[in-house]
Amino acid sequence: MSEVILSVKNLSKSFGKRKAVDGLSFDIKIGEIFGFLGPNGAGKSTAIRAMLSLIKPDSGDIEIFTKSVRKYHNSALQGVGALVERPDFYEYLSAYKNLSLLATMDNVSKTRIGEVLKIVGLANRREDKVKAFSQGMKQRLGIAQALLSNPKLLILDEPTNGLDPRGMKEVRGLIQKLAQEGITILLSSHLLHEVEQTCTTMAIINLGKLIKIGSVHDLLNESDTFITEIKAKPLKKAWKLLKYSKLISFVEENNGIFKVKIANKDLSKLTHDLIKADIDVSAIIPRTSLEDYFLSLTGDSI
Amino acid sequence: MLIKLIGIEIIKIFGKKRSLLGFLALAILMPLIIWGFSKGATGIEQDIVRQLEGSFIIVGSVFNGFLVTYITMNFLWVHIPFLIMLVAGDVVAGEGAAGTFRITLIRRISRFQILLAKLIATYFYTIILITFFAIMSLGLGSLWLGIGDLVVFDEGILILPQEMAWVRFALAFVFATFVMLVVTTLCFMFSSMVNNGIGPIIGAMSIIIIGLAIANIPIDIFEKISPYIFTSYFDIWQKAFFDPVPWRDIGNDAIILTIYMLVFIIISTVQFIRKDIST
Repeated sequence: MSEVILSVKNLSKSFGKRKAVDGLSFDIKIGEIFGFLGPNGAGKSTAIRAMLSLIKPDSGDIEIFTKSVRKYHNSALQGVGALVERPDFYEYLSAYKNLSLLATMDNVSKTRIGEVLKIVGLANRREDKVKAFSQGMKQRLGIAQALLSNPKLLILDEPTNGLDPRGMKEVRGLIQKLAQEGITILLSSHLLHEVEQTCTTMAIINLGKLIKIGSVHDLLNESDTFITEIKAKPLKKAWKLLKYSKLISFVEENNGIFKVKIANKDLSKLTHDLIKADIDVSAIIPRTSLEDYFLSLTGDSI
Repeated sequence: MLIKLIGIEIIKIFGKKRSLLGFLALAILMPLIIWGFSKGATGIEQDIVRQLEGSFIIVGSVFNGFLVTYITMNFLWVHIPFLIMLVAGDVVAGEGAAGTFRITLIRRISRFQILLAKLIATYFYTIILITFFAIMSLGLGSLWLGIGDLVVFDEGILILPQEMAWVRFALAFVFATFVMLVVTTLCFMFSSMVNNGIGPIIGAMSIIIIGLAIANIPIDIFEKISPYIFTSYFDIWQKAFFDPVPWRDIGNDAIILTIYMLVFIIISTVQFIRKDIST
């Protein structure tokens, strides 16, 4: 069994009468890219703030490297890098100066600043003041500051927020690259496809409570039905086959693309049927698998 | 690490434009005041001479850089705290509002250390600002208007010889700096409670105005509570010009002000350590 790097134990936190986190418990093991998934307001950021000692939990505890964050703040947070929500910096200072101040706090050498700026692709903008940075650049600078202390555990709260599709792709690539280098990552997101594309394990929370936890692969296989897009020609022939197929519970066609609802296990059989019927299949794409799964767990309809 | 943290906080303070406002204001105001005195001080000088001529023979002018500094210290003493509060009010609350605590408080440094570094850095700013005030008033005033004996008006008239005036001004600025450190601590305390830079300034300024009113308005009830209010001891710097210097009184005032400072620091610390960073 892999070693646990972060353990959340029965964590609860209320703001006034509103319970933001309610008895949350889970473990993250070394080497995982752990997706922390939930809709906006589910309690993800509150839980992350508690992990990093930014807020005091009402009850429960968090252990990082087996040390209680409550009792041993400094030693527990050694080896942890984090980006919590928006990346806010001292806007009147340059990117380098900002990181320099934080590097001093982390007790790391100034050469590390150049390294992390290079990793996030901001080396050529190091002397620019942060106020001149775009949201995407700030986000990357946020990741850079999290990497300063060579963390073993990286906690990223909505790291692709405010990024354009290209920026999102770059950040996801960066996360996977960091994971390959052996960093354990907790990635909080409300974007289902982001977790699906990036993470190995995930926990789904809603209204402050843990709903489901497991490997992304296993949780998806639990799901019965997928919405799948199929590109096939000739349209008429394909439509007829799909409409009358017993494997499919729902089908619609839009701009030459069929959207069908089909069980995961039946997907290969349907492909076989299409080919056997001499229908030219150019693409079969599972589109919203995790979304369906997530919505079914949180009690919403597709 | 604390020294490094203080250095970081000083960089942050002096990196902000608002921190330079105090210096800019004094750099504009003081030459203007001194120029104004140099051009239109005949009336003031005549008043002083009129009061002195029954008891003294006046040779030369009593109007000089020392007198201008003394007068300026008296009437700017409500304005200088405002300049200090612009920084002291923002130093903790500003970070809360800007969200930068999310990148500093997640590091391996205790909140107490961070708060202490902020407080010391703010003290440093206050000391530098008062030193600048001293240079712009006493330094510039002496160069512009010259020096001589200092005529001090309090319960009577005291004439301090030129050589002694330097020492008394040095003492007065040390005491004045101490009073301003109390103002700094009060505003810092409010700053640790909220997440906006304006609230602490309004809070601290209100307390000082109310306190000064209680300390100076001669009403029985105010006079009874006045000894328990820290603003009653804000005139400690004026005692540097008494003859002889009332060291015992100054010591007592300093102890009371120190107790208040410690109370403000304790409240700030408890507040900041328990604070949830939700911005």
